[in-house]
Amino acid sequence: MGSDFYQLYILPYAGIIIKICRAYTNSQEDFEDYYQEVCLQVWRSKDNFNQESEWSTWIYRISLNVCLTYLKRRKSGDKEIVSDTLPEEAIDDSKAFASDEINELYNAIKHLSETDRAIILLYLEEKTYEEIAEIIGSNTNNIGVRIKRIKDRLNKIIKRED
Amino acid sequence: MTKSIEAMWKEGFVNEAKLTAPEINDLYNRESENMVDKLLKMFDLNIKAIIWGCVIMLVMMSLIGAPFLGLYICCLISPLIIISKKELKKTVNLSKGQSSYDYLVSFNNWLQSSIDTYSGYYKIFYPLFFLGMAVQAIVSKAGGKVIALLVEKIPTDIILFGLPYYLIVTIAIATLLFARYAEAIYHWDLNIIYGRQFKKLDELIADMEELRK
Repeated sequence: MGSDFYQLYILPYAGIIIKICRAYTNSQEDFEDYYQEVCLQVWRSKDNFNQESEWSTWIYRISLNVCLTYLKRRKSGDKEIVSDTLPEEAIDDSKAFASDEINELYNAIKHLSETDRAIILLYLEEKTYEEIAEIIGSNTNNIGVRIKRIKDRLNKIIKRED
Repeated sequence: MTKSIEAMWKEGFVNEAKLTAPEINDLYNRESENMVDKLLKMFDLNIKAIIWGCVIMLVMMSLIGAPFLGLYICCLISPLIIISKKELKKTVNLSKGQSSYDYLVSFNNWLQSSIDTYSGYYKIFYPLFFLGMAVQAIVSKAGGKVIALLVEKIPTDIILFGLPYYLIVTIAIATLLFARYAEAIYHWDLNIIYGRQFKKLDELIADMEELRK
């Protein structure tokens, strides 16, 4: 991957990739693997970007695709059991976070199904229902109802763990 | 917990710029080693499958009353086992200490040279294999009946080795065709088993070449 491409087109959006990869991984090693794979896929698919949507939307879409594909592949290969709790070697990026609350939220998000994780991440990133539907390939009408249900579930999980 | 999850998220990332992105390092190295290791394991597994296939073939052919054909096929396949082992040994020379690009390119060169060696072997294997099967068919009881029926339907005075000449000509043409297209058959077979991995290897090398420009 060209250094210029990384500096110009990936690094400014690294936050998106980090936030998404973090929701789908439980260890620093996996997190770095997912992050690097997303960067590689963004670079490989750069020519397919048709500029109909924003570059950030494209990054969201690739990040989610890579995470979901990786997770599926690992599950089928039994290389990794996706657990609900973080292992000892948890991701240490606490310096970027204001409080433990975000870690709590991430832990709760990891209790959700893979698609629900994608939806709530996009919602929290203030994507519109249309954008969410476009990125995950779903119907706009369902998104609102689904978000409400996911939020209720998240609140329940957070309360239970408090 | 009274805060909404939206607030937790917003306040959680106080300074998004502080999110430290992992360095893009060693990715290609790991991908290259993984890919080469995977292919080598597949080749190794393939040799084991051939050895077991040989044994099973010998037993099965003996059971159906064609032990010589089983033995003949085993003899035909044994050079393949020796060649495969020799070729695999050569991979020890591929040093992982090189750059990942050099490592992949040297692996790819080894692969191409191995494929050439195997192609040479299959040019002999396929026609001889077909010939063995044809001879077994001719000497079998069922084969004898078919030949008798054939001679009755298409009578001829030209008999060679107790067979109508056209049967020998047909077998000879088929054998030559197998020799002619052995390489294509081998490549087709190779593509079915390793096609996906070979494509990935090519893509990875192409990616790396683009990077080096």
